[in-house]
Amino acid sequence: MPLSSYESLFFWIFGITAIFAGLLTVMAKNAVHSALFLISSLVSVAALFVLSGAEFIAGVQILVYVGGVMVLFLFVIMLVNVGAEEQGRDEIFNNQRQVTASLIFCFLLVLGVLYAVNKGSSTLIRQNLSAEAVAEQQAARNATLNRSATGTSSITNDTGQIGSSLYRYGSLPFEIASVLLLVAIVGSVMLARTLRQEASADDVDPEVLQDESLRDPELIRFESASQE
Amino acid sequence: MVSYLVHGLMFFLQEAGSTPQAGMKNAMLEGLKHPDLSKFLVVGALLFIIGVAGVLTRRNIIVIFMSIELILNAANLNFIAMSRYLQETGSVNALAGQIFAVFVIVVAAAEAAIGLGIVIALYRNKETIWVDEIDLLKW
Repeated sequence: MPLSSYESLFFWIFGITAIFAGLLTVMAKNAVHSALFLISSLVSVAALFVLSGAEFIAGVQILVYVGGVMVLFLFVIMLVNVGAEEQGRDEIFNNQRQVTASLIFCFLLVLGVLYAVNKGSSTLIRQNLSAEAVAEQQAARNATLNRSATGTSSITNDTGQIGSSLYRYGSLPFEIASVLLLVAIVGSVMLARTLRQEASADDVDPEVLQDESLRDPELIRFESASQE
Repeated sequence: MVSYLVHGLMFFLQEAGSTPQAGMKNAMLEGLKHPDLSKFLVVGALLFIIGVAGVLTRRNIIVIFMSIELILNAANLNFIAMSRYLQETGSVNALAGQIFAVFVIVVAAAEAAIGLGIVIALYRNKETIWVDEIDLLKW
């Protein structure tokens, strides 16, 4: 799948941005900076998705990851106060031995990847199409598509195909995924409750409640409020 | 481990020596001008390795979760690149990669929600988000 000339320019820009933003995510001292670098990495990967013709996945990536998951991350960073890290008093990495071991491991992974790509890329490209041939193929495919209202570009039907095959072949996994999301919602609400909230839902062991109410006298008030 | 390293280095030296210099340079230039499937896979693999390094080395549990997101994203990049490749070779089921990427994103969202809920509960009990101080299960 050789990309054409302007696509390859964008490929290098976004690929290198994704890798360096990923590196900075791991190396940034401040967790908020990490989150922002991760956002730029995710956006660059979304651009790579667009380059390989997956516009729908790119949109989902931006909406779900950048719009949903990363906002969640930033909220949690705000809730758990990481003051010590911001002021640079604490070490951000594990102790020396663990870091050395894991860096050696990652170096071996890099070597393995380079070996595999070198070895496999020639056999992977079965019909060794030249860039011109691929461009011709794409032009032929584009000619059959509908034009946009202004007539300057064609509208791909990939998203429609994804939708139909998602419901035709992937309907059971789709339903399972929706159940998984429901379980995740309920589970995270359950996990993040405070003891007071648990008490007001009458969901605490009486012995635990007795012990804890010595520390927090108002707790018993929440408990009795739910009795009425 | 050492022998693996030496073998890898030997392989690169051999590759560099076996092809004629001009032909290899041309092939590299061609690869730079028209990046193909292998370049996408290399970007995905590098993102994966960066994510693994983050999981193994960082102390902040939130940054470890972010590194896991990087890993999942690298897997998605591979799925999409393979899907494009199969489309061009005329495979019937070429869009399966994109469908799988949707499910990976769903699982990543669920994992982030649950994981961050656990982080909040943990912070409430232990007052720390450093993973080396959360050693209740350490032997």
